[in-house]
Amino acid sequence: MTIPAYTGMETALRGLQAAQMAIDTTGQNISNANNANYTRQVVNLSETPDLSLPASSASGQTLQLGQGVDVASISRIRDQFLDIQYRAQNSSTSSSNTTTTLLTQAQGALAEPSSGGVSEQLTAFWNSWSDLANAPTSDSAKQNVVESATTLTDTFNSVVSQLSSLQSQAGTQLSSLTASNGPIQNDANQIATLNGQISKAMGAGQTPNDLLDKRDQLLDNLSQYGNVSVSDPGNGLLTVNFGGDTSTPLVNGASANSATSLALSTTSGGSVGALESLSGPSGQIGSYLSSLSSFASTLSGAVNALHTNPPFFTTSSTTNAQGSTTTTLAVNPTLAADASQIKATATSNTGANEVALGIAQLAGGTVDHNYSSFVSKVGSDLSNATSTQNTAQSLLTAIGNQRQSVSGVSLDEEMTNLIQYQRAYQASARVMTTIDSTLDQLINHTGTVGL
Amino acid sequence: MIGRVTTLMTSQTTLAEIDNAAQRVANTQEQLSSGKKINQASDDPYGMGVVLNVQGQLGALTAYDRNITDGTAYAQAGQTAMSNISNIVQRVRELVVSGANGSNSSTQLSADASEVSQLVDAIKQEANTQYNGQYVFGGTSGNQPYTTTGSDAFQGNSGSSGSVTRLIGPNTTVQVNVDLSSVLGSGQTGGSGDGKLLDTLRTVLSDMNNGDTGALSKDLTKIDTNFSSLTTLQASLGATSDRLQLASSRVSDLNLADTQVLSNTQDADMAQTEINYSTEQVAYQAALKAGANIVQSSLMDFLK
Repeated sequence: MTIPAYTGMETALRGLQAAQMAIDTTGQNISNANNANYTRQVVNLSETPDLSLPASSASGQTLQLGQGVDVASISRIRDQFLDIQYRAQNSSTSSSNTTTTLLTQAQGALAEPSSGGVSEQLTAFWNSWSDLANAPTSDSAKQNVVESATTLTDTFNSVVSQLSSLQSQAGTQLSSLTASNGPIQNDANQIATLNGQISKAMGAGQTPNDLLDKRDQLLDNLSQYGNVSVSDPGNGLLTVNFGGDTSTPLVNGASANSATSLALSTTSGGSVGALESLSGPSGQIGSYLSSLSSFASTLSGAVNALHTNPPFFTTSSTTNAQGSTTTTLAVNPTLAADASQIKATATSNTGANEVALGIAQLAGGTVDHNYSSFVSKVGSDLSNATSTQNTAQSLLTAIGNQRQSVSGVSLDEEMTNLIQYQRAYQASARVMTTIDSTLDQLINHTGTVGL
Repeated sequence: MIGRVTTLMTSQTTLAEIDNAAQRVANTQEQLSSGKKINQASDDPYGMGVVLNVQGQLGALTAYDRNITDGTAYAQAGQTAMSNISNIVQRVRELVVSGANGSNSSTQLSADASEVSQLVDAIKQEANTQYNGQYVFGGTSGNQPYTTTGSDAFQGNSGSSGSVTRLIGPNTTVQVNVDLSSVLGSGQTGGSGDGKLLDTLRTVLSDMNNGDTGALSKDLTKIDTNFSSLTTLQASLGATSDRLQLASSRVSDLNLADTQVLSNTQDADMAQTEINYSTEQVAYQAALKAGANIVQSSLMDFLK
């Protein structure tokens, strides 16, 4: 049984090298401790194949002598199921953020409760009719009716136009997201490029950890715009489906499709889904506009039924660019120009006031309730959106924490590893020193008896 | 249970908690500074509906209150005029009584007659009383009821007996005028009299001029009949005033009740909010302290 003289030296060297690589990896982890997109890396060690030695004479068995350690790979610690959960939650958080932001603006447009809101103006309008009923022939009372009605219609029309422009703002945001130079296309192009690089590296037997981290970060980023589903054929060429479009993938291996060619809808998730909904006629803002249209026709219908000749209010409806019908109110121009044509009575008795009295009695009725329930609706939509947003945000934090728990760097752990690998390095060096002194004994001191 | 606790996790969680605590403090601060717990519809959508409805009701109550004040003044103008008319009628009655005695000279009687003629004009003047540009006894016609001198004919039309109403509550109106022409009549227009007050006074006038004391005694009965219908009309307008006064105090009560509802719905409970604020401040400071201590100690502190 012979053992090659330098085998032990080689074994110790491998130990030194493995410890050094482990210390380097620990250093890399520590450097990236505050990098949120970094995935911690570990050195996977494996034994070097044994050296078979001829059998010892007694047992007749072959002996296997260990030859030390090999660094098999340096791998990322990442749970892909947490990635899927994180991206799904990121989509819904981003969706409710977008919704909350726009609905907050919608609620702001109503300016309730304040003296600038429609409901206060409505009360002032009813009261001006009540005053006219007290003095049916008074021109100043009639002028006051026109003034209060004009203030009411101005306020109402400005609410309508603010909501309408909010809706088109949502449409503009949506098209800038999906534009060919927009953020979605940008992410898609980068993912496609990374797919190509990763596939090449993997083909050469490498594990490109930094590129993989970069790609995961891009996928996380993409998920805020819409639902992302990823399928991995194993060669690094990911297929990424976006926004619920299963037929056309956004990224197909090393090539990216145009984001505008995807079939995106209100169910696309993320900010795209939220904006699809908010900018459309059947979305929340669209429903507010149609509520306001129905309020306008209720108000003008109720008042015009009493003040028939000429009708007190005129309404005009148009369809805006987003497909919603918007209705604006105006005081009949004839009456606005000449308030004295307002009639407190439909009879020839100028002192009668049944029309003015009738309109004053509309106060607190259907018209008022119509508007106050509309304001409540807007408020409860926003309140729901806000609580959804809070829940989504907490869930996102929770899943993010779980992911950090798996993939994040713990400094305590790294310090422990550092000590461990440092000691391993020292010990390997000691082994080498020992073998060296053994050889020294053999080479320099053997056969020198009596010299 | 999360197994590993990493550096970034701790700092991110702490940051999120600080944000939450700051948000809560800001919300409570808004309530404290505005004194209201509903500052926008989303704070309490149902409460917001209540607030808007109650504010609308309060606005309507303001209008009712104005209408009641206006109606009271309108009725008051009518009452004053009618009480003047009733004084005038009493004066005529005195003259008739002394004329019917037969002790007055014909000169005296014709002097009385000219006074009665003046008094008739004064009655018509009172019947033309205006309130805020409207003839209070003109009904809804808008016409002046009588010409002050000359013809006693009532100038009204179909609207003259119309009721002038004021809105004093939801779907509640009250009539603030009376049809004085039903008592005054149209004198002796068209030859034959209608037996109403002006007709009676014209008869008195001619009887005095004629020195017919017997007829004057009969006129006394007519005057009493006319006077009693005038009193009835006065009483009915007096009842209207009472009704308006009741309505006014009811509106004040409702106003108080609605203001309380509004306050209960939208005003913040200051004591409660102050306590919440202190609690949230403590929580916020604790979160900040945790943030200051984060990643302060690690294994490195204990390694040489």
